[in-house]
Amino acid sequence: MLWLISAQLVNGIAIGMIYALMAFGLSIIKGLLNIPNFAHGALYALGAYLCYSAVSAGLPFPAGLFVAFAGAALAGLVLDRLVVRFVRAGGYLPQLITLFGAALVIEQLLLIGWGTIGLSYSPPELLRGSIDLGFTLVPRYIAFASLCSALVISGVWLLIERTRFGAWVRAGIERPEMTQSLGINVDLLLIAGMMLGAGLAGLAGGLALPLMGATSTMGGDMMAIAFVVLVIGGLGSLYGAIAAGLMVGVVQSLMTVAAPAASTAIIYLVMIVILLVRPQGLFGER
Amino acid sequence: MPIAMTRRHLMLSTAALAAGAPRLAWSQKAGTVTMGVITPTTGTFAYAGDLVVRGANLAIEMHGGKVAGHEIKLLTRDDEGKPASGVRRVQEAATSEGMRYFIGAYSSAVGLAESEVAQREKLLQFAAGGSEDFTGSRCGRYTFQWSAHPYTAVRSTLEYVRKAFPQKKTVYTLTADYVFGHALLKYTKIVAAELGFELVGNDNHPFGERQYTQYLTKVVAAKPDILLLNTAGADAVTAIRQFASFGASGIAVVGPWTLEVDQLPELAPEMRTGMILGQNYYPDIDTPANKAFVASYSKKFSALPGYSSAYGYDAFRTVLKAMEQAKSVEVADVVRTLEGMSWDGVLGRMSIDAKTHQLVRPYFVVRCKSAAEMKSPADFAEIVALGDKQQPADQNQCKGMAEL
Repeated sequence: MLWLISAQLVNGIAIGMIYALMAFGLSIIKGLLNIPNFAHGALYALGAYLCYSAVSAGLPFPAGLFVAFAGAALAGLVLDRLVVRFVRAGGYLPQLITLFGAALVIEQLLLIGWGTIGLSYSPPELLRGSIDLGFTLVPRYIAFASLCSALVISGVWLLIERTRFGAWVRAGIERPEMTQSLGINVDLLLIAGMMLGAGLAGLAGGLALPLMGATSTMGGDMMAIAFVVLVIGGLGSLYGAIAAGLMVGVVQSLMTVAAPAASTAIIYLVMIVILLVRPQGLFGER
Repeated sequence: MPIAMTRRHLMLSTAALAAGAPRLAWSQKAGTVTMGVITPTTGTFAYAGDLVVRGANLAIEMHGGKVAGHEIKLLTRDDEGKPASGVRRVQEAATSEGMRYFIGAYSSAVGLAESEVAQREKLLQFAAGGSEDFTGSRCGRYTFQWSAHPYTAVRSTLEYVRKAFPQKKTVYTLTADYVFGHALLKYTKIVAAELGFELVGNDNHPFGERQYTQYLTKVVAAKPDILLLNTAGADAVTAIRQFASFGASGIAVVGPWTLEVDQLPELAPEMRTGMILGQNYYPDIDTPANKAFVASYSKKFSALPGYSSAYGYDAFRTVLKAMEQAKSVEVADVVRTLEGMSWDGVLGRMSIDAKTHQLVRPYFVVRCKSAAEMKSPADFAEIVALGDKQQPADQNQCKGMAEL
């Protein structure tokens, strides 16, 4: 039994890192622009499709991941200019409705562009097969995807916390008028934040491609988990997104040992319990 | 200027209506027969709806657009993949448009809900789907089941595996946690015991699950000879994608009713190579009726037909054949004819079990080809076995058929 728990722990951490990457982008947009990006799932699906097209055209997989990031970031720019900037100052309800509508538009465009049949892609030869840890097998691709997620999250965290650009962004969030008066273009910072968050969603979609395939509705499936992670971690908290992503992955995986059929339900139960005990989430502020 | 209604006017009008009414009813009865295709064109199964309509249209076209001297009128309605919508569409089409025959639904849950309306309104329903309830606990005189019974599916698939891979003994099952998966698991247990397989583990997963590595970690740890997927659709596609990432080539993937031919393109060839799958329909079926169907379909749509189109085509073809044989388009006559009918269909020699209304038909087992073996992009698999063993009568829960 101990080996099975250990095996599920390893699987949970690996999957949790991918969840964390998805929620990290969502958290950046929530933190910088103060909007719940309901189109985040559609951007994730867009990333998967773009990555698929890039590798099908003969580009290597890492280039496909870059295309997924860059394409989704550009889509984020368009989304910001056409939708988000008009509802940024409004309440949650107009934000929710317009972004939900934008997500539907993106999903329909994906269907028009790539058709209704789901697409699959096998990872490069080097990333196929498993790593034998003695007590369990970990697919090489899942190990790669979780390592890649951890590196990207660390890089973005350093960008925001340890660079001048990051300092401007944080200042823009906390004191926008003061930042503006210092000659910094806050609007440009917010656009950059939107593009970064959207790009991370696209990258997560590209990374998920060999595991989840590419379908127009895949965003909805991932969005549910990403919002659970966001709420558990604390809305807009970057640390929270990482910790909660790992927690959700591990809890979901461990639950398979005791009650497999409840492995999805358990993450919602955990969210309810955390919200009852700590309504602002694990790392959120009141 | 208003016209005053006199008693004479009233009597004349009444007489005219009385004389005309039977003629109107007669002309509707003798002139057209209204048949419906109630399938999803939006929602989860949106991809299937139009394909079923294609098949149904082709059946009518190839029959000449007329049956037993009646013009055929085809209605299509979107059930959205939801039971409540399906029930509303069937009721509306029957009441407003005079629909007496319909094929639907693609999803068992929708089809079973529509079956209640079919019994109440005396409409002939030709259903598809994996639930054994259509011909079991919720059987009805007006409902016929086109898809194979889950017992036939499991039995045909495992019989082939037993013959082709006699050294493979242990089986780990992954089961969708709803009636369809439960029915497959129930028959897997029965058939596995009969054929000498050992079930070493099972995990139920929720419908719509998208993360399978936690289940698959248990599977590879148990080191079974076979991973048997008692799940279907997008769930099965995702599970297979993620299982492929483990590179556990020593474990054979078998699906008794997991992916129909329509969904095979969703997997990369290296993910599906060597998989053994049960199929309700496969374009390579070697029967004159199927060859004619595939030729007409390919000419018209520049593509090979799949399960959805074959269901639409063969179900309507069967009903039209029954009408011709009955020389009537009255529902009761057609039901009685179907109950005693035996014919050469798209799938092979076919008949109807009058006690359950299950189509007695062959079920096909295919082996998926590797990329190198594929002669064309649609050459996914080869038929390796046929099975037609029906559910044992003592396991059926149909309590008998009502009077017409």
